[in-house]
Amino acid sequence: MRFSAVTAPDRTVPVARGAFLLDSLRASHLTAVGAGTLLAALLVVSVAVAVTLGPADIRVGDVWRSIASHLGLGVSPLSALRDGIVWELRLPRVLTAAAVGAGLALSGAVMQALTRNALADPYLLGLSSGASLGAVAVVLLGLGVLLPVAAFAGAMAALLATLALARAAGALTPARTVLAGVAVSSLAGAVTSLVIFWTATGDSYREILGWLLGSLAGARWPAVAIAAGAVLVVGIPLVLVARLLDAFAFGDTSAAALGVPVEAVRWTLLGATALLTGALVSVSGSIGFVGLVLPHAIRLLTGPGHRRLLPLSALAGAVFLVWADTAARTLFDPRELPVGVVTAILGAPVFALLLVRRRSRS
Amino acid sequence: MPFRRSVLLALPVASAALLAGCASGPAAGSPTPSASAAAETVTVDNCGTEVAFEAAPERVVTIKSTSTEMLLALGVGDRIVGTAFQDGPLPDDLADDGAGLTSIADKLPSEEAVLGLEPDLVYAGWESAFAADAAGERDELASLGVASYVSPAACKEPGYQPEKLTWDDVFAEITEVGDIFRVPDAAAELVDEQEAEVAAIEPDDRGLTALWYSSGTETPYVGAGIGNPQLLLDTIGLDNIAGDVEDTWTSIGWESVVAADPDVIVLVDASWNSAQKKRDLLAADPALSGLTAVQNERYLVVPFAASEAGVRSADAAADLAAQLAELDLP
Repeated sequence: MRFSAVTAPDRTVPVARGAFLLDSLRASHLTAVGAGTLLAALLVVSVAVAVTLGPADIRVGDVWRSIASHLGLGVSPLSALRDGIVWELRLPRVLTAAAVGAGLALSGAVMQALTRNALADPYLLGLSSGASLGAVAVVLLGLGVLLPVAAFAGAMAALLATLALARAAGALTPARTVLAGVAVSSLAGAVTSLVIFWTATGDSYREILGWLLGSLAGARWPAVAIAAGAVLVVGIPLVLVARLLDAFAFGDTSAAALGVPVEAVRWTLLGATALLTGALVSVSGSIGFVGLVLPHAIRLLTGPGHRRLLPLSALAGAVFLVWADTAARTLFDPRELPVGVVTAILGAPVFALLLVRRRSRS
Repeated sequence: MPFRRSVLLALPVASAALLAGCASGPAAGSPTPSASAAAETVTVDNCGTEVAFEAAPERVVTIKSTSTEMLLALGVGDRIVGTAFQDGPLPDDLADDGAGLTSIADKLPSEEAVLGLEPDLVYAGWESAFAADAAGERDELASLGVASYVSPAACKEPGYQPEKLTWDDVFAEITEVGDIFRVPDAAAELVDEQEAEVAAIEPDDRGLTALWYSSGTETPYVGAGIGNPQLLLDTIGLDNIAGDVEDTWTSIGWESVVAADPDVIVLVDASWNSAQKKRDLLAADPALSGLTAVQNERYLVVPFAASEAGVRSADAAADLAAQLAELDLP
């Protein structure tokens, strides 16, 4: 029943639920730290292994020595070109995958808490539709701006439109915010489709299709800086205020009763999450599934307490996306898939398994 | 009514031709038209759709450059009542003949826009042109008395898609369209001319590898192992680094390109993604700028409209061979 804390707050049993929450917090504090350490170790190992995998046949040891040489240790054993494969293509891509995965899972968990909506994902407030519109404007209309800049601007414009619409309709309640996001998403999505339909010539639609499905193929060092920077600057503060989100689980009234300035907190956190998501979308396109389902998967394992949920979701998201992207670039070598396709194909069965196991246990 | 679905016809000649076509198998090449004499019905099995032409089409809508250029090259450009989705300018030798053509749509035309011209044939370079949200489904067009024809090289149906495109496939389309339009002599002449042009190409023997870079930035869309790019590369003696992929074109990761480090890069020049834009991208990328072909600027350029199989394939091969010969290679 922990799952439903996010979906539909049952106002008749907040006290019992709260006590349960505290209990489980104490009881599993140690296991949460253990799980966190385990996931962090898994992430490091995943990154180290993922960089050794790829269509180019480069020996494992040479990959690591090449990376070490760039960090000032020793000399790269590889030719300049193959060294470039490791240092300019693989490593930045793997690191971007880790940062984007962490950020998306974190944003998703925060969005789900703020809106008390199990179907909330990082793109809920029109962010991905806005970013897509910005990207389409660059790729198809030839707007003279760097793609990440346009995508970020599009995401922020959509966010502002959503919040303005929700505010114009009254107080900033979750339901109103979500509905405003639906309206803005629909409009931005329609304009995106119109531009694609109107302008895509020859095979140029492929380029934008890859972006719309989410892809890390273009991730170089600047993408690492943007994605990792956003996760550090926005994500870590979000984790630090995780406890505030627990208050939201029981409804705005209960949160206010606990002394939480509901509207101010919601505005601030929504804005921060959107900023983080906007930065991620700008480098990766809108990768689905991670932000929506990973927080649920972690919640099934740890319960709804956000102090555990947020960091564990972020770590799990990072590990998950590193492997999803590794699959996208190696499974059908030399062909490549958009990673957004892989996340759902890999993730949906895993999530289904978690759901079923959870049910059979309880 | 100039044409009818052949299934409705019980013409012995047509049936015999169909049987002969089936016996040799659709993959063996384009089915034999039943007759090339002007009076008799020409029946073709086109990407799995049987189309019978009782007479030469008089009012044709062409979709994509390959179909427009085919008719111009066969000297029947005057039958074109409208063109759509042209990929680029006509080649010089067809520009005069095609100067008066009317474009009805920059992209895929709607069915109504096509039918408004009262065509008796819609000739498309891609099968996808025949869809309800484009020029109309082939069956529906047929029921309205409008024949449809797709460049056989672009067929996607198993058994109809060429297993690996050959010059015979390219020339077979010329012959087949010549039969449909009752200009077999012009077709034969064009085939002879192109056969000679292809035969005159001296394949490069330096064992060079190549990337056929069609479009894409993050994940390049490249010529793969069984389509027109592979045919042209084979003809000029270049080894396609994506040649093992069983497809006409495909998306491959940049890492595969860097790992293969091709000697030469063929840049497809399209209005939406020019050869220059591709050169700039390759030169600016930290990993790609190290490629041998990029460092030494070993580029060959082919216009997009010539990168798909058709009457320009032979010229494109000859042009690429000439560019390759001029490259300064060790």
